[in-house]
Amino acid sequence: MSKSAFEVEVECECEACEKGKCDSADLVDVLSEREGLKEFYEEFKDSIHECRRLTYGQYLFVIDRDVLPEATLWWHNHPRFKETHMSTAVGTDERAIAGKFSYMPLINVQVEAENMDRNFWVLLKAYMPADDPSFPSVAAKLPAALWIEREVKDLLGFRPIGHPDPRRLILPEDWPEGVYPLRKDMDYRHSPMREPETEFREPPEGTTTVPMGPFHMGIEEPAHFRLFVKGEEIVDVDYRGFYSHRGIEKVGEGRLTYNQVLFLAERICGICGYQHSVSYAMAVERLADVDIPDRARYIRTLMLELERIHNHLLWVGIAAHMVGFDTGFMHAWRIREPVMWLVERLTGNRKQYGMNIVGGVRRDILDYRKEEILKVVKEIREGTKKFLDIALNTNTFIKRAEGVGILPYKIAKAYSVLGPTARASGRRIDARLDQATKTAMAYNEVDFKVPVYKEGDVLARVLVRMDELFESLWIVEQLIDQMPGGDIMVPIGKLPEYAEALGFTEAHRGEVLHYVMTGEKNKVYRWKVRAPTYNNLPAIPDMLRGYNVADAPLIIASIDPCYSCTERVQFVDVRTGRVRVLTEAEFNELSIKNRGVF
Amino acid sequence: MARLKSVWVYHVDAGSCNGCDIEVLDVISPYYDLERLGIKVVPNPRHADALLITGPLTRQTRIGIRKAYEAMPPKPRIVVAIGTCASSGGIFYNSYALYNTSPERGRDRLRSGGPEMVVPIDMYIPGCPPSPEEILYGIAQLLGIKEKKMHGEYWKALPPGEEGDGVSFTIPERPLSLRLWITLRDELRRVVGYYDRDAVLDDFMKLLEQAQKDENPRERLHDLVTGYFLKEKDSRVKVAMRFLEETYWSLVDEYGEWGESLRKIGKSART
Amino acid sequence: MAESVSYTEKLKAWNRKEVEKIGEKAPVTTPYPFIDIEKPPEYRGIPHINPEKCVGCGACVNACPPDALIMEWDKEHGVKRLTYNAARCIRCARCIEVCPTGAMEPTTRFEIATNSKEDLVEVVEHRLAYCEECGEYLDFTERQIEYVKNILPKEIFDMYALEDRMKLTQDAKMRVTVEKLRELEGVEYPAYLLAKRGDE
Repeated sequence: MSKSAFEVEVECECEACEKGKCDSADLVDVLSEREGLKEFYEEFKDSIHECRRLTYGQYLFVIDRDVLPEATLWWHNHPRFKETHMSTAVGTDERAIAGKFSYMPLINVQVEAENMDRNFWVLLKAYMPADDPSFPSVAAKLPAALWIEREVKDLLGFRPIGHPDPRRLILPEDWPEGVYPLRKDMDYRHSPMREPETEFREPPEGTTTVPMGPFHMGIEEPAHFRLFVKGEEIVDVDYRGFYSHRGIEKVGEGRLTYNQVLFLAERICGICGYQHSVSYAMAVERLADVDIPDRARYIRTLMLELERIHNHLLWVGIAAHMVGFDTGFMHAWRIREPVMWLVERLTGNRKQYGMNIVGGVRRDILDYRKEEILKVVKEIREGTKKFLDIALNTNTFIKRAEGVGILPYKIAKAYSVLGPTARASGRRIDARLDQATKTAMAYNEVDFKVPVYKEGDVLARVLVRMDELFESLWIVEQLIDQMPGGDIMVPIGKLPEYAEALGFTEAHRGEVLHYVMTGEKNKVYRWKVRAPTYNNLPAIPDMLRGYNVADAPLIIASIDPCYSCTERVQFVDVRTGRVRVLTEAEFNELSIKNRGVF
Repeated sequence: MARLKSVWVYHVDAGSCNGCDIEVLDVISPYYDLERLGIKVVPNPRHADALLITGPLTRQTRIGIRKAYEAMPPKPRIVVAIGTCASSGGIFYNSYALYNTSPERGRDRLRSGGPEMVVPIDMYIPGCPPSPEEILYGIAQLLGIKEKKMHGEYWKALPPGEEGDGVSFTIPERPLSLRLWITLRDELRRVVGYYDRDAVLDDFMKLLEQAQKDENPRERLHDLVTGYFLKEKDSRVKVAMRFLEETYWSLVDEYGEWGESLRKIGKSART
Repeated sequence: MAESVSYTEKLKAWNRKEVEKIGEKAPVTTPYPFIDIEKPPEYRGIPHINPEKCVGCGACVNACPPDALIMEWDKEHGVKRLTYNAARCIRCARCIEVCPTGAMEPTTRFEIATNSKEDLVEVVEHRLAYCEECGEYLDFTERQIEYVKNILPKEIFDMYALEDRMKLTQDAKMRVTVEKLRELEGVEYPAYLLAKRGDE
């Protein structure tokens, strides 16, 4: 691991060049910075129009839209970069700047696991003329792109040619055709109406339809199920989510300035809010090209880890509840409560910490707060050990979790599954160490392991999370020990206009990704958020296939789904024609037991 | 409202971020244990006396919320809005995805918005998210255990120097000039953050006041700050204090020099 | 130095009394709402406007992400009202951070549930300064003028030179300056000033 944050060799000597933003920087230099870039360039030489480094470890290629699927798959299936995956894609209305639309898959290239100075991001930008915003679909060959292409179709009016399932999905049923909210000619407050038209699937022959939701006692978040039942047996399920779509990206681009967006980012999700806020702040800091003080990086990391601790405890409580081990639920939440009290004293609130500002953090960790943290860490470690000892020796728990919901490595990669779910399937990815988080967080300066299990079942997911929890406690202790002095924030002046960068963290569910393109007057021109559940949920049918129905709720909960993150623009579509049998009683159980998971 | 005994509640999510949902769940967990107040969470609005709503009311949820409300028994039919979003639409209040009756909605004094657009609300529990104690307080108020404590305020701010019907203007007496106070307070945000800065600055001003009585304030202040460290053991507060001391004197010197040179220029110009 | 306990010691000494109290009887559950409790001193409760200190500059309005703070303009009556509504407030405490006068005060108040949103509103009505010269109200309040006067470093500025021009509109300010210059030093009207005013 190198020491300086921006240690790159470039021959050109102008100042802009050193920061990688000089347009005249020698192409060869940029391409030789990371492995694979040259290879890619040689392969697609005729279709690449532009190649530049946006910021440390983020490379932008402007390519022809015709080669979009090939270029994406070239990276995804690269034989040497095994854990590479397509994280998401961004569609932008760039008509105001370039007169064109753009669609851009973002690829997380993993040269070497846990080496943030060798891995990098590749952004493949394809421009489309304003009168014909269409591109060949990547989703036809790569399931990871299924949702994002529907998303850009709905919100921006792009046409993915050859998409296997081009239904209209995100926007409300009473939203008129031909109004695309993320296009710049629509005001963020404009909310047109039409007569609602619901496109439910036709029930299979000989079945009765049992509607469930959108409000159901168990499902904390609204979601609508239509069960097609034959007697007690469920033949098919139609699912409509997108009830939590709040138009966050558009509000961030429309009403707020870049410092205010931070607080909106925090409110994408009430559970992993701080991760979103750090990701966003990281992207903007990269754009403004400031190094934030070390102390701020440490405090951020500390808060991120505390959040991971209480969220993993929350999840394990739910998992225990789900297998009928209610004592476990109560105990996990009892153990969790001191962490909530602790973060309340550190930041002022139990959730939505409001701790971040672009350029640093807002509250300091005074000495007595450090003592409080260490006290709680000790308490949690003891409590969790005791709890795990009981839980993992309870047959009800083990038998329900072992060998259930297996997600094979290959499918996990095809869907770009992230976080503990992926790590339980043998994927060795963790955005904390894999990508250069060192400008905003201090993960490069602490020592911890990334637990990886190969089994891919629910038990493996439990164990990955619990191992992570203990690692997090260890990280917190190290951070407290190593906490440097100095300021906690740097003021940030004006942002450059129309510059792009990515920000990312590893939330307790997986990698959170924020893409920011700045606009004029300290506003954000395009802000794209991708929460981990967005990538994890499409893999659920594959996890469910072939298992007993009684395991369905546990399997669904085992990825720790969060709809509100996901649905900030997108909805969840589990097309469970593939779930074979699901009785209504089981479904009831599913929904009751999912309480609080989402 | 007549005193309620055992209220059965039904929880709906109108597109919330989960923060409030988890806190509602937390209220049921061992530390807060809502059920001891006779509250029971039921799975069907037809059994419910009260509806707990979280979230800013997205367009997709509004029909469902209305239906759930109508399905409840006509009495007592209480609606509790939990969280800032449910009270007024929150930070999302004028987004296209929310139920907006007009683009200008939500900027009136009551900040209308959220579920109150479709159902009447009996209890607002604002907070982002409200902590379990806050939710408990709201429920306790419904049950008649606690009294309402908030009330609206309308002040008429009088211009400086005026007395009478309204609140007169005061700039607190400080041992340093207002300009320095603002500068130091802003700089301190970088060092200890916005929360701790006021207390640290107040302590500093107390020391400064003492020091100014002395003939040699510079040395006296340095001694006082050193003495302060005997009592205040916190390393960060110490850093902040030393920072204040240095910045204060450098600012005083800077302005002093400027003033001096300006006065010279003025003198030469006049002569 | 009357207090013997330092700032951090005071914070450190705080603990959840109800947790201690319940230790013996019930192992876990809090007796609240049957007793009174308080939130930790670090808790971010709703902010409170101190009308004595507020000058109506609107820094908080610019910083507030959810528009819980809005400035209502009423130029006809010469007032502007700073309105705060806790029902919209997400308690990010940005207003407390940016307030130049310290008028936005943090509280640890948590018992704010209410049955009427009227209870959550705080309004401060500010009187706008009046320009005698043009006969119209200015964009800022008299308190703002007073505050700015206090901010200006006395070592550098001669206050009497500014005093008479602070309560004027932009146009009137320009006019007065030019007239004064002409009177005092015999400087001609610069052409662009006349063109801008467009009245001669």
